[in-house]
Amino acid sequence: MDHDALFDVWHLFIRAGKKTIRTPVIIFGTLALPVLFLVLFTQIFTQFGNLPGFPAGGYVQFATAGIIVLNPLINAQYSGTAVVDDINSGFLSKMLVTPVNRPAILFGRLLNDTIMVLIPAGITLALAYALGVTVITGALGILLILFTAAFFGLSMSGLTMAIGVTTKSAQVVAGLDLVIIFPLMFVSTALVPYEFLPHWAQAFSNVNPFSYAVNAVRALMSTGFDWSTILAAYAVIAVFAAVTIGATLYQFRSVEK
Amino acid sequence: MKAIETHDLFKRFENVEAVKGINLEIEEGELFGLLGPNGAGKTTTISMLCTIVRPTSGSASIYGHDVKKEPGTVRGLIGIVFQDPSLDDNLTGRENLDFHGRLYKVPRSEIAGRIKDVLELVELSDKADVIVKKYSGGMKRRLEIARGLLHHPKVLFLDEPTLGLDPQTRRHIWEYIERLNKEKQITMILTTHYMDEADQLCDRIAIVDHGKIVAMDTPDNLKHDVGGDVVIMTVPNGGEQLKVKLEQLEFVKSTQLVDGALRLSVDKGETAIPIFMDVARQEGIAVPSISLHEPTLEDIFIKYTGREIRTQEAADGFANMHARGRR
Repeated sequence: MDHDALFDVWHLFIRAGKKTIRTPVIIFGTLALPVLFLVLFTQIFTQFGNLPGFPAGGYVQFATAGIIVLNPLINAQYSGTAVVDDINSGFLSKMLVTPVNRPAILFGRLLNDTIMVLIPAGITLALAYALGVTVITGALGILLILFTAAFFGLSMSGLTMAIGVTTKSAQVVAGLDLVIIFPLMFVSTALVPYEFLPHWAQAFSNVNPFSYAVNAVRALMSTGFDWSTILAAYAVIAVFAAVTIGATLYQFRSVEK
Repeated sequence: MKAIETHDLFKRFENVEAVKGINLEIEEGELFGLLGPNGAGKTTTISMLCTIVRPTSGSASIYGHDVKKEPGTVRGLIGIVFQDPSLDDNLTGRENLDFHGRLYKVPRSEIAGRIKDVLELVELSDKADVIVKKYSGGMKRRLEIARGLLHHPKVLFLDEPTLGLDPQTRRHIWEYIERLNKEKQITMILTTHYMDEADQLCDRIAIVDHGKIVAMDTPDNLKHDVGGDVVIMTVPNGGEQLKVKLEQLEFVKSTQLVDGALRLSVDKGETAIPIFMDVARQEGIAVPSISLHEPTLEDIFIKYTGREIRTQEAADGFANMHARGRR
């Protein structure tokens, strides 16, 4: 991308940011969801932590890693619905007749959505800290945790955007998102240790990018700089992101008939 | 150099041929109208000129820059006011304009001044910092026009600029369009299915039907074509028979039977009507009503397409309003 394209990304980001800030529901959801998850899951499942074979540190320590990545998984639908909104409001057609860099339209949006992922991840970490959760890898680990959440969020945003650009329907984005989110969320290592999953679920978890992201965050929180887990996660997320964002960019082209 | 030139412009969407060979030459500073019913191919033609739809064949250029080969250059030369406002509801008028100016790379030092100018032009200065959601339909359209002008385009496209607006607002928008065209010498192309709009605004008009231009001239010349007066007789039964009879009269220039109404062009309507009524009586054909008016573009449209634009417009207009309401 050249110099102008970066400016385009910036201006599109500012626009998306202003719109986000002025949509109180999104702000409320983004701020409330991590609190809700942390309280609900740790209260409901807290006895899990006492089961034999459960990783040391208790359930809250364990589940915090899952919840940090759960936020981007859920928030990703905003990316898809925003794109649908931009298509149906005529904004996208308007953009396509301006000299704006084409991919910048997408990346400006994604920059906004990345920030909307970092905020709940930060809130979750702060709240978990208050509940006695620790991050064994310290400040650098925290940065890597935030990066992991943002990177995973990017790949998920790509998915909902690809659905949005293809179907041009906010209902389809929200509906499909749920159908995709639930298996990804429950058939994963987010809330239950891998060993506790039935065999078929383990097999799914092995290909579930969400599990990879959770495992990386969990390693950074509880085990240390376990690079094989962390880099495996980044490789899987990178492939997932390349496919979903690539599909969105490809569909973007076909908007120009 | 021509502001706009197209040569056998053709567009096929899957199996629908939307535009079937359009040839245009539009001079700098001209206010040119594309007139036709919905689905005639006006918007597709404009979309090709604006680089958002790729022509299937043929060529189009803006100030000599081909829309297929140099889309980037073309995009910098043109401004567009869309049929449906594409403003950001959650941003203020000023923020919408600022964002737009940045994307068009309007020099940083000039942006504030230009925003002030265009807002004054469309009389929205006092609403500049209000969120667009709170604007009325007419205000949104005016802001949209202001935005189309911000980067000083050489050609401005207006796609149905007054669709769905009340008569007073429409007249207001017409005034802006005329003033901009005269004062700033901006070449303008507008699409419309409002006859009066085309008549009032355009230097030249192309009537588009089924993807083709069926007539192209100044509004006056087009009207002159139809004749001095248009007489319309309602004939529920025996229209065809009456048509044959009246065609034989020497002073009748043309006849057309559309939806149970016989339309006749004549030089002097006042003297023709009694004769027409006599013929009808002799033939025993009932004529419940008869009317007379000077030719309008509506008559020209009917002459070239054999259809009334209004019936279709009313239905489409309703559907459009409906669609708008749902959003």
